[in-house]
Amino acid sequence: MSADKPIAEIGETPLVPAHVTAAYISDAVSGVTEQAAPIGWWIIFGTALLGLGILGVSVGYLFWNGIGSWGNDSPVAWAWDITNFVWWIGIGHAGTLISAVLFLFRQKWRTSVNRFAEAMTIFAVMCALLYPTIHVGRVWVLYWALPLPNQMAMWPNFKSPLLWDVFAVSTYFTVSLLFWYVGLLPDFATLRDRSKSLLRKKVYGAFALGWRGSNRHWRNYERAYLILAALSTPLVLSVHSVVSFDFATSVMPGWHTTIFPPYFVAGAVFSGFAMVSTLMIISRQVFNLKDLMTMKHLELMNKIMLVTGSLVGYAYSMEFFIAWYSGNAYERYVFINRATGPYWWAYWTMVTCNVLVPQVFWFKKFRTSIPVMFAVSILINIGMWFERFVIIVTSLHRDYLPSAWGMFSPTIVDVGCYVGSFGLFFTLFSLFIRWMPMIAMFEVKAALPGAQPSHHAHADDHADAAHAAHAEPAPAE
Amino acid sequence: MSTSGEEKFDKGGEQPSALSTSKRVFWRSLEQKQDPSYGAEDNSGSDVVKQTIAGDELFKLRRRNFLTLSGAMTALAGVEGCIRRPVENIMPYTDMPEYVNPGVPLHYATVMNRNGAALGLVVTAHEGRPTKIEGNPDHPASLGSTDLIAQASILDLYDPERVQKPLASKVSSTFADFDAFLTGKLGELSKKQGAGLRVLAQPSNSPSFLRMRKALLAKLPQARVHTYAPVNQSNARLGAKIAFGRSVATVNDFTAARVVLSLDSDFLMTEAGSVLASRQFAQARNLDSAAGDMNRLYVVEPALSVTGSNADHRLRVAAQDVVRYTRALAAELATQGIELGNAVGAVRGASSEGIPDTWIKAVAKDLVSSRGAVLIVAGSRQPPELHALVSLLNRALGASGRTVTYVEPLDADDGDNFADVRALSDDMAAGKVDTLVILGGNPVLDAPADLKFGAALSKVPTSIACSTYPDETADACSWVVPLAHELETWGDQQTAFGHYAVQQPLLAPLWGGRSELELLGQLASEPAWRGHEVVSATAEEHGIKGEIAWRTLLHRGVADTTFATVLGALSVDDRAVAQALQKAGDAPALGKGNLEVVFAPDNKLFDGRHANNNWLLELPDPITRITWDNVAMIAPTTARELGLKAGDMIRLTRGDASIDIAAWPQPGIANNTVSLSLGWGRKRAGKNGNGCGFDVYPLRSSTAPGFTAGVSLSKLDKKYKISQTQDHDQMRDTRVEKENRPLALDATLAQYKARPNFAEYKSPDPEGGPLWIGQDYTKGQQWGMVVDLNTCTGCNTCVIACQSENNVPVVGKEQVARGREMHWFRIDRYYVGENEDEPEVAFQPLGCQHCENAPCENVCPVAATSHSPEGLNDIAYNRCIGTRYCMNNCPYKVRRFNFLNFNLDIPETKQMQFNPNVTVRFRGVIEKCSYCVQRIQGAKIVAKQQGRREIKEGDLKSACQQACPAHAIAFGDLNDASSEVARWYKRDRNYALLADIGTRPRTRFLGKVRNPNPEMKS
Repeated sequence: MSADKPIAEIGETPLVPAHVTAAYISDAVSGVTEQAAPIGWWIIFGTALLGLGILGVSVGYLFWNGIGSWGNDSPVAWAWDITNFVWWIGIGHAGTLISAVLFLFRQKWRTSVNRFAEAMTIFAVMCALLYPTIHVGRVWVLYWALPLPNQMAMWPNFKSPLLWDVFAVSTYFTVSLLFWYVGLLPDFATLRDRSKSLLRKKVYGAFALGWRGSNRHWRNYERAYLILAALSTPLVLSVHSVVSFDFATSVMPGWHTTIFPPYFVAGAVFSGFAMVSTLMIISRQVFNLKDLMTMKHLELMNKIMLVTGSLVGYAYSMEFFIAWYSGNAYERYVFINRATGPYWWAYWTMVTCNVLVPQVFWFKKFRTSIPVMFAVSILINIGMWFERFVIIVTSLHRDYLPSAWGMFSPTIVDVGCYVGSFGLFFTLFSLFIRWMPMIAMFEVKAALPGAQPSHHAHADDHADAAHAAHAEPAPAE
Repeated sequence: MSTSGEEKFDKGGEQPSALSTSKRVFWRSLEQKQDPSYGAEDNSGSDVVKQTIAGDELFKLRRRNFLTLSGAMTALAGVEGCIRRPVENIMPYTDMPEYVNPGVPLHYATVMNRNGAALGLVVTAHEGRPTKIEGNPDHPASLGSTDLIAQASILDLYDPERVQKPLASKVSSTFADFDAFLTGKLGELSKKQGAGLRVLAQPSNSPSFLRMRKALLAKLPQARVHTYAPVNQSNARLGAKIAFGRSVATVNDFTAARVVLSLDSDFLMTEAGSVLASRQFAQARNLDSAAGDMNRLYVVEPALSVTGSNADHRLRVAAQDVVRYTRALAAELATQGIELGNAVGAVRGASSEGIPDTWIKAVAKDLVSSRGAVLIVAGSRQPPELHALVSLLNRALGASGRTVTYVEPLDADDGDNFADVRALSDDMAAGKVDTLVILGGNPVLDAPADLKFGAALSKVPTSIACSTYPDETADACSWVVPLAHELETWGDQQTAFGHYAVQQPLLAPLWGGRSELELLGQLASEPAWRGHEVVSATAEEHGIKGEIAWRTLLHRGVADTTFATVLGALSVDDRAVAQALQKAGDAPALGKGNLEVVFAPDNKLFDGRHANNNWLLELPDPITRITWDNVAMIAPTTARELGLKAGDMIRLTRGDASIDIAAWPQPGIANNTVSLSLGWGRKRAGKNGNGCGFDVYPLRSSTAPGFTAGVSLSKLDKKYKISQTQDHDQMRDTRVEKENRPLALDATLAQYKARPNFAEYKSPDPEGGPLWIGQDYTKGQQWGMVVDLNTCTGCNTCVIACQSENNVPVVGKEQVARGREMHWFRIDRYYVGENEDEPEVAFQPLGCQHCENAPCENVCPVAATSHSPEGLNDIAYNRCIGTRYCMNNCPYKVRRFNFLNFNLDIPETKQMQFNPNVTVRFRGVIEKCSYCVQRIQGAKIVAKQQGRREIKEGDLKSACQQACPAHAIAFGDLNDASSEVARWYKRDRNYALLADIGTRPRTRFLGKVRNPNPEMKS
């Protein structure tokens, strides 16, 4: 029995329903880019463009007037800007995890979601990069943070965690983009081959980089993809670890914590999966791709959310324990203040959304309910935003000297810059689902029963038939 | 040409300015303005410019120069394309003014009247623009320090909202017209021997002014000069008349006093002569080591003043009960054997209800045991009988001649200001006044409300206001004459002890203008009425004869000899004191329906004359930390009883007068007392001051200008938003107080003697060594600062000094509310103790700590902030990209960020105040205390010119250190063992703030020591 077959004895089922064939996949996925967009797409795209406009206006206002357009102050010098940055970066984690790590572990179920997740990663990282760019006081000299040779022989400060951020995030972005693009090549070729107009042929042909599907192409492809997957895997861990160093290497109570790197990574995966889940639920509805993004996929993702959510919950409680155990009065106060101070509501929103809510996924009934998982995924995204807000704002607003304590309250420009980032994200995302194969067609095809060459073709036919009989019907919704 | 164009500049420089007043002129000081091409757009056509260029070696083109220049120009052209730069023209001098060396500041000695006391100053001028005010070390009332208003007054000089031209019935006029009018008017008046002419002047210490006043009255005997200032020394004068039967000036010496009892006297802040008092008080409080001894301060007051917050023991009583307390104390003193003569009967029988027994018995015992080294001071708002009783007690306790000296007053005629202004107001209302000349001051605003001065003024046919601002009084007068700033005019001031000092102008009046002295001279028909002539004549009377003596006087700022008559053993008329006390009687008890209101000169705006000064408006009040507003301060207990929360609007009513004001529960206020500060709520102060705070003058009456009972309070259904620089979130978190963080550390004298290093003990260095080998700071010059929390009074002078020196911007009330104030140096105020109503206070001045292991430095991604080999934490503003990471990572939160372009709308004249040696920061960069690095560099240049490798102790003072009246800040080279800062570093009270983080701050603190009386424990 070949390795890619589900093991009926332990309850595994095929990843795609029986009626799905290679041709069906090509038609379903390519069709999205070939036919007129459904009304749902236009609604999403139009709303997203509006959001993008809000972003443009907000950022323009910010550049014209200065950081004071936001609510940042002393002592809360970072607020929504870095909250949003870390939040988007966290969301950008699922893509690489799903693509690379699950690929290395031969988790075939990833095939129908990985393209999606990678695209989300790219766009989320773009949204994330927006904030460190616009949050500096003098944006026109931002390039000084890059190690560019200059006549002053002045290098950036390699001791600064912010600089590490620059390297970590830009590396992550580059590798993710390459990984995504390499994975897209065979599918671009499919689109090219199906093209009926010359323009489509030329454009997709250019993107396909002359892919002909020869054996050598496939060999090179498999190798390149494997290497990129191997390169990306440590990045999953490193990017958010480095982002957490922004806080962990400081002297601020509430930030100066060794637990931050694993805690941040777990949180990032958590929020990333939640976001993928949200987007998948929407797009399988809009484009009717329920056969390819099945309930099984969603359920597996919900399990990951349950695990990472619990990890994050562990980190929350460990922070409190260490604050008490360290005997450091400032540290203790910061945590008591988090839970009971003026921002208690933010803290308890975070705990509720991130720790309590995902616990519903212990139950299969909720794990496989579309409304429940949609609500939970949204709540997790809210909770993870509040996690970053709590870490940044409540730690800063009451630190060492009570004389310097203050509060933070956002302005309309803060809101605009946050809401607008959704505009940017969904604009890019709707363009992606409209013009690119949003599901890795060739990979799903490879996961079809009988797709892999076998030495026991006849015996397998029998097994296939047996599995087909066991297979669950496609989800009704 | 205007008359003012003939002003003389500085040391008798005679060149008249050629600028016509019709042209908009920002400043007029120097002779280069004779150049008619000045201000023209194309200056390259000017011969001067051509000559300068032609004479420049660089422009003698040879091949190499040509290549160098063209290369540089190409590069610059590229740069120029990227960045928008304003067009700036550099104007050369046509005739080089005397002494001026571009880039090298000049310093002039002068003097200023601060709250009725002379304060000697040294003013720094860059190319003719005064930029910074410092104290004159040679002047005995300054000793090199100033108070905060003197520091801030330089900003008033450049205020474009000052009256710029004489106004005739609100229509712009000229000095020529005014002079013609005045000559005509004086001609009329002299026929009547001056009948109908009244002059309203402010109390003066100026011999020239008093001489002119005498001259005026000699010339026009029917004229009358009234004296009034809303905050004045009348009660002390009247008290002296009771006690001594004559007018005397009282001079206190706090250095010799081991026990000081302040009866509602804020001698460290708002009373006259606070600079000297602070210095003397600090000297008597200074502790070199645990072997030392210090004075003890008892304060009895209704509202928490700066002095009260420095007290070792503070009794919170209503203002009306201060006399009662003093009587009870006097009775106890008599019991303990102090001879009070005939007054014993009058002091006995005072009710001691509500006054703790220890406050009578133990304080009396302390005073008796320190006989001869005690000093009792009474506040200027307290009634004359208290001042008389205090004189009696000081005499009986052996203080006279030791800690108190009585001197012949300069102006013996200056009696009761309130009676004087009442007499004037009554005469005006009765139509007896034909011409009123108001020399400075703003009586329409600040005269007691019951006099209805404004209404009375409208009955005066001719009224002339000599006024700095187009204020309430100027509005009501038929003529307004611009009053020039003290840095623009000649004058003189004499201290109570008779130190004569000349007020020397640093520049001709910016917009034209005259001094009060000059106008008085004109009224007296003095032919030589110009300030310079009047003052030099007065100086001659003082024995300063001849050019050399005159120039020496100007140079030094103060005469060598004193001109005061010390009144030796004055006997106190105890019978008169007793009579006065008995006449005053007891006031009815206070309660919710009978609240007491006390009026205090504001800690920042004083009586309101500085109400358009942005620095002062934004400065946090030393006690409440409120900016841009004043509030009605009420004890937390009383506020709770009345259901009041911070920011609730209330209405205070007394008789038919009422004001609306925001309530503020403030620890330290007496129960059933409301403390109001004067000078706010102005309507005609100017763009900055209008509408800030609440005007409390309408409640003030001529019969009870200091405090008054019988006030009722009603809560209005409105809230008012207050901006504070501390307690932004307005929540006192008691958990933190219980934690007892080691911040502003204090101990009692006994605890200190038991553990001299108590401060370091509470705030120890972290255990374990550093992770890597640090910078070697044992070589070269290493800058450090030590702040003595024991002598710091919290007066805020350092904050303004820093603002003035370092071009620190003002951000406005809304931005302060957002926590974006920019002060590089701030004073943190902590309350100590459990009792919300009666806290002890600790002040902690805080600038950048210049940590040797600075958390801000390693986090900056562009290395814009890094350490100098001399131990400074430097910022290159030009390199900063504004990530604000350093600000987050600073445990002291002393780094400030330009959230907006706070320097965007600075009027051009105010830009002239900027210190040219300090960058004016653009939006988006971080800034903070630099240890006045520009002064360090300046001192290095001077040292190098003198052939020295290193800066010596005394070459250099930081702005905060220089201004501090209490001399609580030491700054200098730590590697110079003889330097003051190195010696203070070795003191046992030395500690580093938040040392346990391991930042190794260069700024250290000396722990505060309180000296409570062991017998006061109740």
